[in-house]
Amino acid sequence: MKYTPRQGETNFNVSPSSIWRELFVLLAGLLAILAGLYLVMGLVVDLVAERLSPEFEARLGAAVSPRFHVVGQDDSRQRCLQQLADRIQDRCVHLPYHFKVQLVEDPRINAFALPGGIIMVLTGLLDRVETENELAFILGHEMGHFANRDHLRRMGRTLVLLAVVTIVFGPDSSLNNLVTGAMGLAELGFSRQQETAADQFGLKVLKCFYGNSCGADDFFAKIPKESDPGRFGHYFSSHPENRRRISHLRSLSSSDCRPEILKPLPECIVKGK
Amino acid sequence: MTNLIIFLSLMVLGYLAGSWAERRHYRSIAQREAQWIHLPAVTLPQAGIAPGTVDHAHLVSGSAVISIDYFKRFLAGLRNLFGGTVRSYETLIDRARREAVLRMKADAVGAAAIVNVRIETSTIGGHGKRGNKSTTCLEAVAYGTALYLKDR
Repeated sequence: MKYTPRQGETNFNVSPSSIWRELFVLLAGLLAILAGLYLVMGLVVDLVAERLSPEFEARLGAAVSPRFHVVGQDDSRQRCLQQLADRIQDRCVHLPYHFKVQLVEDPRINAFALPGGIIMVLTGLLDRVETENELAFILGHEMGHFANRDHLRRMGRTLVLLAVVTIVFGPDSSLNNLVTGAMGLAELGFSRQQETAADQFGLKVLKCFYGNSCGADDFFAKIPKESDPGRFGHYFSSHPENRRRISHLRSLSSSDCRPEILKPLPECIVKGK
Repeated sequence: MTNLIIFLSLMVLGYLAGSWAERRHYRSIAQREAQWIHLPAVTLPQAGIAPGTVDHAHLVSGSAVISIDYFKRFLAGLRNLFGGTVRSYETLIDRARREAVLRMKADAVGAAAIVNVRIETSTIGGHGKRGNKSTTCLEAVAYGTALYLKDR
């Protein structure tokens, strides 16, 4: 047998197709699977959220809240805030929770609804509030999230999704990091519809508590200069952009809002007293 | 968000560095294969050399360890979900085998032929964080018997 030296022209061991095409096809498949899971889980979580008892929720809330730097129970602003919430609940909000307001030392302008009837108010927000009506609207808005069980839906979705991603890809794969990163972005807060529904609940609370729904938009009117998400920010912040929100609130609230019908902020909440 | 940025940077780095290294390696392989083309390396026990003309024979071997880049590993990870041909590993194996054969030939300077050539591959390292095996490095070993002719 004669040996014939030969150098192949084509490399049959390496596929000629583009690596980018493969990446695209595989990622599209992955996203389709995740989207499917997400849809199914969303339905399951919604079903579960409506059936959880407030006691079970309170235990969930206890697991979540210690991460915040909470102002002590004996703080006078904290107590005052709690009293206002209690009065609002006694007169206008009939939900199976005992709302517990917690003041959190944080310069950001925000408030959260946590499982178990816990409403977290950041001091950055409290410092900027000027009338009791504004504060009542904010509390009413957060109570609206409880009324609609938004806080449980959000927590449920985030939890179940993380669990599924971890089962599929393992606890610390690079895929897992990618997916949790993307999900954190998408699950940042409540959806626009949820926020709008909570706003409507807050307006009803105001109407019941003061006899008018004035002051609801005052607070949001103040924010734009400082932290309006602007054109690009709205994807990253789930609260509807403030301008849209103000105009929506204005269209729903009372028409003649003279400054004299607004109640001043209780002495004990005003900063520095 | 930070995780995402780190991940994307690693993907870009892996793709750029990986494809640069791959192109360079393939150029080098093609050049050395042309250089060594007249040294037969065959899997048969003989290569048309008459038994009486062989002076001596000894074992020659060559091995190469090639690593895969981050981008291709990610692609292979995705492929593991769906199944099918893992294309991103193809160049890895191809390069490792050809490099091993070339190094074996370099070990056989002056030989008339290398017979009984075998190529074996194995993975090196690659114990993931969970203790399972994930392919990170591939080793290819090529070995055979180099035949040297008597001086005439």
